[in-house]
Amino acid sequence: MNARRRHEARAAYALLLPSFVGVGGFLLLPVLVVLGMSFMEWDLISAPEWVGLENYAYLLTSERFANSLWVTAVFTLLSIPTAIALGLLLAIAINRGLPGTSWLRVLYVLPWVSAPLALGVVWKWILDPSYGVLNALIGRRVEWLTDPQLALPAVVFVQVWTTVGYISLFFLAGLQQIPVAVYEAAKLDGAAAARILRSITLPLLRPTMFFVTVTSVIASFQVFDSIYAMTRGGPAFRTDVIASRIYDEAFVNLRLGRAAAMAVVLFLVLVAITLIQQRYFRRRITYDMS
Amino acid sequence: MATVTSPTRTRRTPSARASRLLANALTYAFLLAGAALMLGPFLFSLLTSLKTPRQFNTTWPVSLPDPVTTENFTSLFSEQYNFVVPIAVTAQVVLVLVFGQMLCSILAAYAFAQLDFPGRDTLFWVYVATLMIPAVVTIIPLYSMMTSLGLKNTFLGLVLPFLFGSPYAIFLLRENFRSTPADVLDAATIDGAGVWRRLWQIMVPMNKPILATLLLITVVTQWNNFLWPLIIAPAEEWNVITVATAALQTQYAGNWTLVMAATTIAIAPLVTLFVIFQKQITSSLGVTGVR
Repeated sequence: MNARRRHEARAAYALLLPSFVGVGGFLLLPVLVVLGMSFMEWDLISAPEWVGLENYAYLLTSERFANSLWVTAVFTLLSIPTAIALGLLLAIAINRGLPGTSWLRVLYVLPWVSAPLALGVVWKWILDPSYGVLNALIGRRVEWLTDPQLALPAVVFVQVWTTVGYISLFFLAGLQQIPVAVYEAAKLDGAAAARILRSITLPLLRPTMFFVTVTSVIASFQVFDSIYAMTRGGPAFRTDVIASRIYDEAFVNLRLGRAAAMAVVLFLVLVAITLIQQRYFRRRITYDMS
Repeated sequence: MATVTSPTRTRRTPSARASRLLANALTYAFLLAGAALMLGPFLFSLLTSLKTPRQFNTTWPVSLPDPVTTENFTSLFSEQYNFVVPIAVTAQVVLVLVFGQMLCSILAAYAFAQLDFPGRDTLFWVYVATLMIPAVVTIIPLYSMMTSLGLKNTFLGLVLPFLFGSPYAIFLLRENFRSTPADVLDAATIDGAGVWRRLWQIMVPMNKPILATLLLITVVTQWNNFLWPLIIAPAEEWNVITVATAALQTQYAGNWTLVMAATTIAIAPLVTLFVIFQKQITSSLGVTGVR
């Protein structure tokens, strides 16, 4: 028996070896390396030089970095509640099960399977002031992506467009798990539609809401491809989200140490946000139907 | 699909029926508007890719191409733009990564789900914890690691960081492998099947649906990947399709018919794949919770 156990353990370690190379070498090690790099100055040409906390000191006073955090926060706060509200509405509408509506789900997920970069390029054309579809439709020349006032709302709109269908699928899955009997009981009691939404649907969707919010926030703080295609962070840094800033700092300005320090800050911010969300959503309501 | 609305057929007053009709009409209007908004950009870009620059400049942007031209696609594949290269590179990257990720993830998930060994739970916890590490954070250290290995602008540089499985896939597969009935596996053990044979002759065949879903997700993720290829393989001969499209847009800004042909090439294969396998994907999304 003991020999068999040893044999099984050996087999297990052998099976785990490749993935351990991946997790250790390309996920855990990079976290250590990025931490080390954040204490250095490196321009890719000369040798890296130890500078202690200088990069972090710079970040504390850098207006550009503060701007990026602000832009990312605004981007997230505008896009996620909108996408969640619309996604929930879509899910409720599809869940009514009207004839000929279930295939619409296919359409809503198309943006999810498409490359965000390619979609960003498509939207850059649609929003183009002279040749774009949107201005042709409304018959006015509007500088959607180059007007400093409009650029951020425009990229937020594209983000909502990209994510809303995907989000609605999760709500749809959540809605379908709510027992029909709960609704029937509420209706017999004469509850109005708004009351049912507030007192039954939303509380029972809490786990889905938690999952969607957490994953959306994490994705939103890393958004890069579509912004790269549409604005490259411009005009006047109005759409300079944190990932764009890290990319520019590292590969345009060739300040890898500074970029590494930004990445460390981003990591800490994301961990903090996840923990806070977990706390907020912990008090769950479940209606035991058994 | 189950409907949750009013399964009980109670007596209805005329006003209740009227409000129900109104609700249905509003639902249809909302869903159709949403569908049009979703489909529009795909349709417009496809239409534009089938127009000549002259047609594009002289007609309404949402008009149908008349006549349809494939000029943009043929010039993309000509020597000048050479879009054959990014398609070939992307296809190879996707192929190698799908194979590597699926294999390594299956092996790891099987070990975590079915085998007993010291340190199993701790190690699994470490794997799950790495799900928290955002890609943007690892991109700079990975770049410095890969370049110091001399892998900038190489195929290996493109694939190496993602080749050995993903913690997400391992997590997902482990959940499914664990629920495989133990008596089937026990029976096989009694018949003398070893660890390896139990995996390939029982575990994998019994979990085909989740494996198929994971395969599709891996194809989508890798085909659409942009930031890593942009950084590690900027040389033209190693451009993947997203990087080539971005470069084309920067270089030929304003040549929208050509650029829309490029986005169509980047988008169309996966949309086709998705439409074919849409049941598989939509039904599993709720379970898997990707991204």
